[in-house]
Parts: sequence; structure tokens; C-alpha cells
Amino acid sequence: MKRQNVRTLALIICTFTYLIVGAAIFDALESRKETTQRRELHLRKAELLKTFNLSTEDFDELENVVLELKPHKAGMQWKFAGSFYFAITVITTIGYGHAAPSTDGGKVFCMLYAVLGIPLTLVMFQSVGERINTFVRYLLHRLKKCLGMRRTEVSMVNMVIIGFISCMSTLCLGALAFSHFEGWSFFHAYYYCFITLTTIGFGDYVALQNEHALQNKPEYVVFSFIYILTGLAVIGAFLNLAVLRFMTMNAEDEKRDAEQRALLAHNGQAGGHIHCSVDQASSSSTPSVCGGGTAVEGSGGGSGSRGLRNVYSEVLHFQSMCSCLWYKSREKLQYSIPMIIPRDLSTSDTYMEQGEAFSNTLHSNGCVCSMQRHSGISSVSTGLHSINTYRRLKKRRSSI
Amino acid sequence: MKKQNVRTLSLILCMFSYLLVGAAVFDTLESESENSRRRVLEQKRNEMKKKYRFSEDDYREIERVVLQAEPHRAGRQWKFAGSFYFAITVITTIGYGHAAPGTDAGKVFCMFYAVLGIPLTLVMFQSLGERMNTFVRYLLHKMKQCLGCRCTEVSMENMVLVGFLSCIGTLCVGAAAFSHFEGWSFFHAYYYCFITLTTIGFGDFVALQKKEDLQEKTPYVAFSFMYILVGLTVIGAFLNLVVLRFLTMNTEDERRDAQERASLKRDRGEQSRGSHRERNRSNAVHSRSHSTLLLPMEEGTSRTNLIASPAEDQLRQRIEMGKRWLKKKYI
Repeated sequence: MKRQNVRTLALIICTFTYLIVGAAIFDALESRKETTQRRELHLRKAELLKTFNLSTEDFDELENVVLELKPHKAGMQWKFAGSFYFAITVITTIGYGHAAPSTDGGKVFCMLYAVLGIPLTLVMFQSVGERINTFVRYLLHRLKKCLGMRRTEVSMVNMVIIGFISCMSTLCLGALAFSHFEGWSFFHAYYYCFITLTTIGFGDYVALQNEHALQNKPEYVVFSFIYILTGLAVIGAFLNLAVLRFMTMNAEDEKRDAEQRALLAHNGQAGGHIHCSVDQASSSSTPSVCGGGTAVEGSGGGSGSRGLRNVYSEVLHFQSMCSCLWYKSREKLQYSIPMIIPRDLSTSDTYMEQGEAFSNTLHSNGCVCSMQRHSGISSVSTGLHSINTYRRLKKRRSSI
Repeated sequence: MKKQNVRTLSLILCMFSYLLVGAAVFDTLESESENSRRRVLEQKRNEMKKKYRFSEDDYREIERVVLQAEPHRAGRQWKFAGSFYFAITVITTIGYGHAAPGTDAGKVFCMFYAVLGIPLTLVMFQSLGERMNTFVRYLLHKMKQCLGCRCTEVSMENMVLVGFLSCIGTLCVGAAAFSHFEGWSFFHAYYYCFITLTTIGFGDFVALQKKEDLQEKTPYVAFSFMYILVGLTVIGAFLNLVVLRFLTMNTEDERRDAQERASLKRDRGEQSRGSHRERNRSNAVHSRSHSTLLLPMEEGTSRTNLIASPAEDQLRQRIEMGKRWLKKKYI
């Protein structure tokens, strides 16, 4: 089955398993307390009914009034400050629910507002996050140079560690601030910051709801807004670093498959004869190399095209011999690419870069991995499969 | 200034203006209604206090009991069905808040659960959404062939239109179903589906909260879960089609800049001569710079540079030539 389909199915199964496991654990953690609390409240309610001589209908009425007054307890929710807070919870998709539009006009506007605002906010946070990552990378590079380290390149691991530490400190900073201003425990304030910055936004803890803070404490209000937006940018930077590449995996694979199909189709029409650049060492891999050769041969003369053809043939030659994953620094590769090959076609460029690198090393060292690793299926797509996996791996590392 | 920086700054400004405008409009729409409702409710409360002769403390006590009992009104929230519902709201970041972990251990586990679950879910929905888009593209292509259209290629506008229609269709299906099962008006059910599928999740409307639905109406429970997950996939497919390319714009530009810098370094080493001719040519190239700041090209890279040095222009020209040659040969 196509790789993208396998990947998608695996992810679906993973998610469902994760949900089931999570549900079981939450059940185990929370059910007992729920049962006890429920019983206690029931008893308490019965007591209250007796003490004040209330009927059940009376109590229901009272209950309704209390519940409807709940959002009003925290102050005016829809003055400008409160509306700004609400607008933030809409476009960042936090959605506490501490205030929700009650008029139908408000609901309609809320939906239209979200349709435009959510993509804008997503793009904005990723954009800012990428800038933050670039800046951090630059700082780290300078730091490494100053400390006089041997290798001043900033690796992915460095970036991930820094990203993780900045997320933790953002959460801790917020926890300190909110535990002070809202009177929550540190743990509850940390939980609040976490639930807010992951945009889950339960609404069990909501800032700016005590003592009419929205109207009376403008500095605290401004701090809260800035904290939420900056915190989301930091989390967004970490997601941009670690998760975004995975979201484009399927699309990149499709693009590459389409290019390969186009290449094969074109060359299948053009030249007829098979050009096998078979090495002594790759005797077991003749069929696939020849199959690869067809894809490569078939375009006419010109030194440029011959250079290209050589690159292609060497790529396929290499991959038919050895499906090992070999990382080489991208900088080194760039120096070995002939100028004519465009780099903007992001998939084909790494394809050819690998070709050059591999051909160089092959001629000097030979292949480092055993011949047995080569797959017996002699089709170009399978041969290309290994290099695709490699390229994906390399692309991740080279996109540092 | 570098293109990425300009883009980022303008996005920040855009967002702030959007927030300000939104706040002003919400204020206008909701403030008055809030005031009048508050007045009515407070009056009612005072009447009740007088009627039942509550003191202030009595009222506080009743209020406390009522507020604490609120989540229990909707039935058992933490049995397996309820926990599954909760787990969905966590990893999809919907987060209604109709049930929130009460124990500290539950809160801790919730945080760890989210740390792993949210990226997994993001990647899963994008993956599945991309598969759906590919399938829809294939179907449209076949349909165009069958209908004997002149141009059987599926354009971006086709895909966006189909994506948009499927989103609206999903929302309407959900609205019809939930308005029937929950007794909401069609508009409120539509609003609920919208708020859910955009993962905002206010919690003012929550499905499966009528007495004991979670325990008793198992088919309806299964339908709700499937609806939420499938609906999120449809929205995810639309986002994958339209928005995802914008999320990688800055990264692509950085990559391209790095490549150009590296080639420039090499180029300077190789060819110190012959730069006179190229400089004349590069002046002509320099004029076409400013176009698409915010729009990514089809391949995900944008081709312009605000500050173009002559050597970079020469490099870009050669790249363009090479690309044109390759395209002619192979595609």
C-alpha cells in the first residue's frame, strides 16, 4: 500500500487507542471522587430544603437564577475589556466559555469572526514562532562561537531542548503571576496556564474574573492579555520546530510521487534502449538498476543533460546497491552541485544532492552497508522508496 | 528589511487590529443585553431572598451548593463514556469544560495526556485530511473526464469550492441531528457544531448532557463522537488545502535564503571574473521584486526578495534558466 495511506491508517489507529487508554485512566482517577461529591451535594441539598422549607420547584427556580447569574458574578463581561478578552478566546480557539454570546446577533458575528480570525491567528503565530526560532538559533550559534566550541552548528536537539525549557518557564512564570493575582495555588495556576496555552480552555479556572478585575485593574488586564498572546507564540514556536514538518509529510510524498510519475512517463515515451550502469559489486541488483536506467536515459545530448543523466544514474545506481540511510552535512553537499540544477524544486534538489554525495563517496570508499540490505523487488519505485525515507530524514535535519 | 520580518510584523498588526475591531463589535452587540438581563436576574434574586427570608450567608451557601452541583446535573461525567468524551475534548483542544478533572491527580494526568495527545491529533487530522483531498481530487478528475469537459485538470478553485461545500454540509448535518436529539433550535445546534468543529468549545451548548444520555443512549453517544471526529477531519482537510501552505512560508523563505547564501559563497570563489556583464543584467532583474509577500507559490516558495544584491540576482537568473530547461525536458 502507498506509504501515505499506511501512515494515515497508523495514525488513526494510534489516536483511537490513545483515546481509549485516556478514557480508562480518567475513569479510574475521577469516578470515585465524582460519586462521593455527588452524594454529599445531594445530602446538602436535602438539608437546605428542610432548613428553609423549600419545595423542589422552589429550589429548581432558585437553582436557575443562581446559574444564570453565574457569569454576571464576575463583573461586566461585555464592556470593551471583556469583549477583547472574549475576542482573544475566540480567535485563538481557547474558548473558556466564561462569557458566551447570548444574543443571536452575537452568535452569528462570533461565527463569522472565527472563520476569518482563526486562520489569521494560526498563520500569525507560526510566523512569529519561526522568527523566534531563527533568532534563538542565531543566538545559540553566537554563544557556541564565543565559548570556543569545536562545532558551532546548532543541532535540532539543541533547539528542541531550548524550546522545551522556554515552554516550561513560560508556564512557571504565568503560574507565579496568576497564583499571586487570583489567589490560586501554584499548581492550579500552572494547570490554568497549561490549559490556556494549549488552547484547550476548559473554563474551570479563568483569569480576570475576581473582584471585577476587568474594570478595576487595567494593568493586570493588560498583563493577562500579553501573557496569553506571548505564551501562545512560544508554544507556537515549539510546535513550528517539532510538529509542523509532520503535518506536511503526506503532501510532500504526494508531490514527489507525482514528479516521479511525470519523469517516468516522459522518459518511457522518449528513449527506448536501456542503459545499465552496473557495477561489479551490484550484480544482484541488475534488474532495478536497468529499470532505473530507463528512467534516466532517453533525453538527448547537450552537456547539461548528460551531466544530469549521470547524476540520476548514479543516484539510482547507489540506491540499488545500498538502502542504508547516510547523513551528510548539507553544506558539504551544496558545494558539489553543478550550478545548472535548480534548487527551488525542493524535492528534486535533495534528490540530486544525494546523488552527487553518494557518487563521490562510492568512488572513494565504497558502500558502508552490506549488499544484503537491498530489497529483492526490482522496481524503480521501491528503489526510490529507500531514498525517499532517507531524504525525508535528511530534509528534517537539514531544515535546521 | 527581510521579507519574513515584514510578513511577521504585518501579521501581528493585522491580528491586533482584528482583535480591537472584534472587541468593539461584541461590546456593541452584547453589552446592553447583558445589562438588562443582569438587572432582571438580580431583581428576581432579591425577591426570592425576601420570600424565603434568606440571610446573605444563607444565600451564599445555597449558591455554593448549586454551583458545585452543576456538572452533576447532566449525569455521571466520569464513567467510561463520559471520560472518553472528556478525552476527546482534551486532545482535540475543544475543551468544553462541562467536566473538568476535580482531583489533582486528574489534573496532572490531563496535562501529560495533552502534551502527547495534541500533536498526535494535529498530525493525524492533517494526514487524514490530505488523503481526503487527494481522493476528492481523483474523483473530480474522473467526473470531469466522464462529463467530457475540455480541461480535465482539477484546479485549486474547484478544490476550495468542494472543500467549502463539504464544511457547510457537515455543519448542517450536525445541526439537523443535534437539534433533533438535544431539543435545540436549528440555529443553536448549528452554532454548537461550528463552535465544536473549530475547537473553540465554549461549553455554553454541550451535547450528551441531558439526563443520563451518556449512560443510556449508546447509539447517540457513538454518533456524537463519530460526528465530532469526522467533522474535525473535514475541517482539517479544508485547512490542509487552504491554510497549511501559509504556515510554512517563513521556513521556506529561510531555507531558500540559506541556499542562496551558500551558493553565493561558492560562486564568489569560483568566478571572480566576468561580474561586469552580470551586473548590467541584474539591474534589469532588480525591478521585478515586490510582488507576493503574503502568498506562497505553488511549490511553497516565494520567488522575490526585497533586498536583492546583484550577485543574488545573477544567481536567481541562472536558477530560473536551469529550471526552465528542466521543465522543458522532463515535464
